[in-house]
Amino acid sequence: MATAELSLKLHSSSGSRVKDFLNANMVNILAAFLFLLLAFFLLYPILAVLIKSFRGPSGFTLQFYQNFFSKNYYYQSLINTLLLGVINTVVCLVIGFCLAYMTTRGPWILRKPLKIISLVPLIAPPYLFALSLIILFGRNGIITRALDLHWELYGFGGVVISQTLAFIPLAYMMIESTLMSLNPNLEESAYDMGASEATILRTITIPLLAPGLLKAALLIFVMTIAEFGNAAILGGRTPFLAPDTYTMITGESDFNMGSVLSVVLIAPCILIFFIHNYLLEGKKFTTIGGKPVASEPRKITPLIKIPFVIITTVAAGAIFICFAVVLAASFYKILGVTNTFVLSNYLDFTSNQSIYNSIRVSFTAAVIGAAIGVLLAYVIVRGKFFGRSFIEMISLSGFALPGTVLGIGYLLAFSAPPFRLTGGIMILALNCVFRFLAVGVEAGISKLHQIHIEIEEASADLGASFMTTFFRIVLPIMFPAFIAGFIYTFMTAIVSLSAVVFLVSPGFQLAAVKIFDAAVYGEIGIASATTIKLILIVMLCMAALNFISKKTKIGSSMSQKGVL
Amino acid sequence: MNGKQAEKPMLILKDIHKFYGSNEVLKGVSLEVKHGELVTFVGPSGCGKTTLLRLIGGFTDISSGDIILDGQRINDLPPNLRDTRICFQNYALFPHMTVAENVGYGLKINKWPKDKIAARVKELLDMVELQAFGDRMIDKLSGGQQQRVAFARALSLEPKVLLLDEPLSNLDANLRLVMREEIRKLQERLHITTVFVTHDQFEAMAISDRLVVMKNGLIEQIGSPIEIYERPANEFIASFVGYVNFMDGRIESIDSATRNTTVSTPYGEFEIHLDQDNIHTGDDVLMVIRPESVSLSIDCKQGGKNVLCGNLTSYMYAGSLAKCTVMIGNKKMIVDQYNPRDAKHFKHAQRVEVEIPRSVHLLKKR
Repeated sequence: MATAELSLKLHSSSGSRVKDFLNANMVNILAAFLFLLLAFFLLYPILAVLIKSFRGPSGFTLQFYQNFFSKNYYYQSLINTLLLGVINTVVCLVIGFCLAYMTTRGPWILRKPLKIISLVPLIAPPYLFALSLIILFGRNGIITRALDLHWELYGFGGVVISQTLAFIPLAYMMIESTLMSLNPNLEESAYDMGASEATILRTITIPLLAPGLLKAALLIFVMTIAEFGNAAILGGRTPFLAPDTYTMITGESDFNMGSVLSVVLIAPCILIFFIHNYLLEGKKFTTIGGKPVASEPRKITPLIKIPFVIITTVAAGAIFICFAVVLAASFYKILGVTNTFVLSNYLDFTSNQSIYNSIRVSFTAAVIGAAIGVLLAYVIVRGKFFGRSFIEMISLSGFALPGTVLGIGYLLAFSAPPFRLTGGIMILALNCVFRFLAVGVEAGISKLHQIHIEIEEASADLGASFMTTFFRIVLPIMFPAFIAGFIYTFMTAIVSLSAVVFLVSPGFQLAAVKIFDAAVYGEIGIASATTIKLILIVMLCMAALNFISKKTKIGSSMSQKGVL
Repeated sequence: MNGKQAEKPMLILKDIHKFYGSNEVLKGVSLEVKHGELVTFVGPSGCGKTTLLRLIGGFTDISSGDIILDGQRINDLPPNLRDTRICFQNYALFPHMTVAENVGYGLKINKWPKDKIAARVKELLDMVELQAFGDRMIDKLSGGQQQRVAFARALSLEPKVLLLDEPLSNLDANLRLVMREEIRKLQERLHITTVFVTHDQFEAMAISDRLVVMKNGLIEQIGSPIEIYERPANEFIASFVGYVNFMDGRIESIDSATRNTTVSTPYGEFEIHLDQDNIHTGDDVLMVIRPESVSLSIDCKQGGKNVLCGNLTSYMYAGSLAKCTVMIGNKKMIVDQYNPRDAKHFKHAQRVEVEIPRSVHLLKKR
């Protein structure tokens, strides 16, 4: 009796054909919708940049590219940028390797402190280092005046140093995670077979690390040539592509040349993206599992220990000093010049206004970004439609894109009808959403991989429609991923500078841009205080994320992938 | 072993202590390993057996004590200068090298000439029957083959002591038996002093000349497999190497000539043959009754010697063996009946007779 009734009910409820269709195709409909969003807010702006670089007053032209390659200034800018990338990558890898080696193989007492100092720059905007170098070595810098030196901080050297310090954490994190995944028994076996420390490094550690090192190198290279803040603040008269793009747009309103510079900047990124995929295809060394033993400290020979200790101490010391001077400078009008303790930097109205604006923009971006991220993750993991991996690729690509490119792209795409968005909070928020989408998507994907599809199938089996299953089963399970994506997007957006610097309107200042302006105009105290406020906000976010990851185990995978 | 005269020890551990911070994981371990002997450290996880092996290999510093290898104190020598070679549980084969490169790694490091390396590698691969696999990459080998490569690599430099850290635990059950036998054969043929670590007491008994049973950083007993099984030093060892029925008792009398001994228990008196000299009249003892040493019969005709009557509460027939539970009063006794011919009858039996053998081992109660 009861079964007959039930089957009757099932039949009648699935009577409507529209409902049936929706039920069966909901994932695809959702995917189509998300794809439209990605196309409009990510692909269209990039396409706009590309088109602008080829379109003169009278249609298609190669004149702007000709311009680029014939003028010495641009050529110099390109060379500087690439050189900066190469030097930065090499130095960061060396320092990152030394730090990672010491924190995973070195003496116990050094491991924790070194690790903390190596990761501390993550809580600060990268341009903090430009600021602290100005405080120390600028024309009125503490050390410049104390030693009465006549050097020039502004230029290639200054940019290299600040960029290097800014990218140490990224290099360290990537190398450390590959070193950690290296079975310590491998090195111990070599040691046991009679190899010295240097021989182990040369024959075992470095060859096994090679794929990881290469991956780190490519990523650091791409990010460092695209990084805007340090080069713009400390570049001086030395041209670099990213800040040149900015001057081209804001100073000379030359959108064509700005676009060309962007395309030139984006080209190595795309190239490297493909090299990376090609090179690392299946190139992963696997070993038999067992109980992984934590690497015990080895008796490292002085030949290796001394240079490693020197490099790590210098790097850690430099990072520490940079933070310390910014903190100190935030309490003085100009540290080193007028040495009276003041709180006025923290009370500055425009600074606080910009912080408030930044929080609003980042909050908006975080809500939208986390939501889209979770939905995209769902579509990518559960969908079975054509082009699924394409959607995955573009939703993760925002991070690798130079911020300046997406900045100009939004300016070109959304400043004129029919899609006029400029001047408000929305264009800033949406820009952040699609630049940092990868974070939310990664969080969602990693969470979804923990859930068996059987759970959803069980729900469907019990007669629930797609919508019911989605809202009652999927969303509650995905909620931690949403929160993680939210916080990560928030803290990444709030310090980001390179794209929003193009999009802020005079009446609506953001904190990152405020710091940039203040640093350029020599308002060191205000720049420092605003930076410290941002750091505090980011620290709060990290604490929240830490709390959540402990509760839901989602952060562990996030902290490795998300920051990339 | 083998009735040969005692050779001078190859490896001596003298009162070894190891602290991790304030946590003492080895609390004074002393041991001598003879030349050509296979000694196994066995014990529950956390007993310190792997730490002890790593101390011998030089991967971990000892806090106090001495390690003496072939007459030389090696406390302060790093692993690359010690004449010991280790085989890790996960084999730790270099994944970026071929089988031959793995086996020849130590030879290359020690600057052997190329032709000699090639010859030695070939010899080693022949020995572990991997002649045809020299050019393979490691990840193209099965688990058992990887284990052989690791073994060949560890033997390449003819170490004075070979250290094996749970080498069989990553293999499936059948292969484990095969490899166990192979390792033992090779070890005996090469007459190489070997320290083997395992948590599997049966593997330990099957492969070793002597067992070192450890618990909580201390050695509980050292002895041949037979000694450990038949004359365990205490309750822990007795139950670590197999199931055991304990029964409380007191020594009533010992005949000094025949060593016939009477033990009184709450279940009656037993007559046993005492062949240990640490037990005296009046001692409180624990009888160590192995399940397979007890014989079971269906009739229950009270009054026989060393015989108890009980209820058969479960009879689990498993072909070569039947596992029986007999309740004697409120005392549970497990009996293993090998080659159970009368299973049909036992299946329905209620009252059974249990006979305790005269060879029962006694533990003195403290």
